[in-house]
Amino acid sequence: MTIEILFVFLVSLAGGLAVGAGFVAFLVVLGVIPRLTQLTKTMRMVYLYEWAVVLGAIAGTFGSLQDLTFNFTGFLSIPIGLFAGTFVGMLAAGLTEALNVFPILAKRIRIEDRIVILIMAIVIGKVLGSLFQWVYFVG
Amino acid sequence: MLEVNGMENTVYIRMRNRVQVNVDDSLFLRDIAQIISREGIHQKLERLPVYKVSAEDNNVIILDVMRIIRMITNLYPDTEVQAVGPTQTIIEVMYKKKRVSFPLFIMVWLLLFIGSAITIMNFHEDVSMQAVQQRIYMMITGKFESKPLLFQIPYSFGLGLGMILFFNHVFKKRLNEEPSPLEVEMFNYQQSLDQYVIINENKESVKRLDDD
Repeated sequence: MTIEILFVFLVSLAGGLAVGAGFVAFLVVLGVIPRLTQLTKTMRMVYLYEWAVVLGAIAGTFGSLQDLTFNFTGFLSIPIGLFAGTFVGMLAAGLTEALNVFPILAKRIRIEDRIVILIMAIVIGKVLGSLFQWVYFVG
Repeated sequence: MLEVNGMENTVYIRMRNRVQVNVDDSLFLRDIAQIISREGIHQKLERLPVYKVSAEDNNVIILDVMRIIRMITNLYPDTEVQAVGPTQTIIEVMYKKKRVSFPLFIMVWLLLFIGSAITIMNFHEDVSMQAVQQRIYMMITGKFESKPLLFQIPYSFGLGLGMILFFNHVFKKRLNEEPSPLEVEMFNYQQSLDQYVIINENKESVKRLDDD
């Protein structure tokens, strides 16, 4: 019995370690946190941002394992939704940048000066695609 | 004798990194390099013709510093040429000002627009975003909502906001003066291309076995 518990403990700890390390590696590769510190000029607070990520991941894990409910108003989900979307948007932008899409595209079709309009194509596409999905596509 | 005017006869040149020229331009030394030299020959050096761009040239020409040094020492055998900085200039021949055709641009725009809309929808399906959002909404309010639009609509606008923050552009207005990751990326890409042509378009810098 004790052996069983210890084994489960070991397996779950190993699984959690792997997932947690992978999550952090993903964030590091996409460079979301450096970008945010650069925009807000808060390089010295970066270790607190690390804690924000770690605590957020733990809170998310806890929330998804427990059936926790509160009785707040639905309007509270507006800021939460906005933050969630901004984070995913930054991940998507980081991924686009890591894949070198724009430099190659701009060079190929010679539009170095109008590249912002192309970024806007992607940004507006993401917003409208997401709105379309939630308002019409699902359900 | 040499020691007396040794310093005087030194010419310092620094090749420029990139120069854009038109077809049939004649290039003088001052076009492709910065020069420091003694008064007497400075004007002549600046007007030293180094290259004539012709229609047969590729759109990239590499001028190696050795070639320039050879030219200068042929003209003024008693000068010493010191090269500083880049050892070659990349000359970009601007054949005709090719503007992007507008329909092509619209096509690319639509490709990116539709593509990113579909990608984000696929991503949401892939990670069961709807179910997660229902659960978060349930957690906050205690009520089940099959379409928690109060969460989803701000989320959608947040997506765009996040991308704009990352790329540091709000419809051409910059948020601060540092270069955005995209500009750095464009710069790095250009550097790599330059590095490639410097090695491969410059006949002086690659020596092959069958090169006779």
